[in-house]
Amino acid sequence: MAKRSFDVTRLPGTAVLAVACFVILYIPMAILVAYSFNSGKVIGNWEGLSLKWYGSAIHNQAFLDAAINSLILAVTASVVSTVFATMAALATTRTEKFRGEGAIHIILNQPLMVPEIVLAIALVIIIGQIKQMTGYNGLGFLIAAHTTFCIPFAYLPIRARLEGMDLSLETAAADLYAGRFYTFRRVTLPLLAPAILSGFMLAFVVSLDDLVMSDFLKSPGQDTLPTYLMGELRRNLTSEIYAISSLLLLLSVLIVAGSWVATRKKD
Amino acid sequence: MLDIRGLSKRFGYGKGEVTALHEVSFSIAEGEFFTLLGPSGCGKTTLLRLIAGFTGPSGGSLVLDGKDIAAMPPNQRPVNTVFQSYALFPHMTVGQNVAFALEAQGRPRSEIDPAVDKMLTLVQLLHLKNRKSSELSGGQQQRVALARALVAKPRILLLDEPLSALDMKLRKDMQIELKRLQRETGLTFIFVTHDQEEALTMSDRIAVMSGGHVQQIATPRELYDRPANRFVAGFIGESNFLSAKASAGVVEVGEGRVALADAPDGPVTLMIRPEHVVLSANAPDALELQATVAQLVFFGTDTHVHLVLADGTRLVARVQNALHGGQSLNEGERITISLPAKALRVVRDEEVAA
Repeated sequence: MAKRSFDVTRLPGTAVLAVACFVILYIPMAILVAYSFNSGKVIGNWEGLSLKWYGSAIHNQAFLDAAINSLILAVTASVVSTVFATMAALATTRTEKFRGEGAIHIILNQPLMVPEIVLAIALVIIIGQIKQMTGYNGLGFLIAAHTTFCIPFAYLPIRARLEGMDLSLETAAADLYAGRFYTFRRVTLPLLAPAILSGFMLAFVVSLDDLVMSDFLKSPGQDTLPTYLMGELRRNLTSEIYAISSLLLLLSVLIVAGSWVATRKKD
Repeated sequence: MLDIRGLSKRFGYGKGEVTALHEVSFSIAEGEFFTLLGPSGCGKTTLLRLIAGFTGPSGGSLVLDGKDIAAMPPNQRPVNTVFQSYALFPHMTVGQNVAFALEAQGRPRSEIDPAVDKMLTLVQLLHLKNRKSSELSGGQQQRVALARALVAKPRILLLDEPLSALDMKLRKDMQIELKRLQRETGLTFIFVTHDQEEALTMSDRIAVMSGGHVQQIATPRELYDRPANRFVAGFIGESNFLSAKASAGVVEVGEGRVALADAPDGPVTLMIRPEHVVLSANAPDALELQATVAQLVFFGTDTHVHLVLADGTRLVARVQNALHGGQSLNEGERITISLPAKALRVVRDEEVAA
């Protein structure tokens, strides 16, 4: 550890550097949002203030279909992965040490380490075969894939919370005549709720944002918001993309803010 | 009421195996304030956790009211615990914390509400019923923990160093409060502490533990007056130890000798409390020795006189301070001291961990 008297904010240039970082990070997004109110059709060519592209977006059936797909995918994948992650976190923190516990930890976090493209290519081969064999080409494949890579995102905050939780609370509940399930429902779960919520929201955002996996695994005509935007960027570059991106940004910000409020309140 | 028979606990396996508790056996009577006293690592907390059921024994049995409860999970034992950290549920109010045990037992609301109020009245916290437990002071949390553990009327209340987190003044108050609660409820208390003063002032009986063994079980008075071995003598109160030779009921220390009937022949260790050392000759039936006053330490009510015997053995004598100075001793002075035979105890070496 550094000495107590060492204060990083006193170094010359700290303030300038910090401000520069924020500006570089957020200016592009500010420009994106600003141009979503542009009335002109061609990107980067300012012609005046207008909500026209938002209007156009909500009447664009392809965008709406993609948005619905994305929401179904994100909700399902984050709910399922949060349930799995909670169970996994309980198993790795609330049981006696068992053989292979370390391996389970690694396997659970593997999607964080392995390049997504590798996983996507691996799945393309298998899922292609299954599609051929079964003839099914609905959202199920995407849901399964998203659930897989969402699990570590939900698992990490939940596990961190469980590890930080005073074990004597659960011991006390058992001492006070509570069975295992009653202890979980009355003590563990309420104390874990903020972490479960933030794990869920993290998983939701990760799924909503995913491009690589979705693009590789989607069936023809089955777009999610990111794959739709990617396609639009290639084909017809209009200011509508800025409006749609801004809506997506708004949704992410709301989710992150919601997660922050939820976890802050309980602590 | 509670019979502990050959109870033992080992942790780890193979070379890493540690025995926290060696086959311990004793009984605790109904309504007793029983204390497990010893330094950290002596096995007292392990024994408490075994009685609560948080961990299973490696051997032996625990018989409560004629039934072996050693294999019973903690939620089925009529035993409740006050934890060292209190372990109050932070997301619940004081009232909800206290109601927890009765709710877990599935008792009807009509029974729970009055019981909670009664318990909170007993610990004088009824006015804080709707507070979050995290908003309370240490002393208040302590009393909530007590109320929570008492509300379901357990057969035994276990207290795991419950006063160690409190400051001195509060600790004294809580000692009296605990004793009052125990008397009013008539419950059996098993109290774990490393603080000998706490144990002496509160307990009916004390089990002194060390190295996973029970060294002695006795009333506070007996422990102090007749410690079973050197460990107990050193742990309870202050003690002076002297090496002596005994033959035919007479012990010999340097130039002094005195009749001591219970001394076995051969080398023995004698123990005497500082307040029993007399700083003059002529005490009848006493071991008389020459000593040098090494240091005088003033403690307000009394003065500790540090003495060195001819063979280099160090002794401490405690003298009450009289109103007008009393006897005047000087550091470096040579005096004759007397150790009365009735205050001298022959102490054995303690049982050590195998």
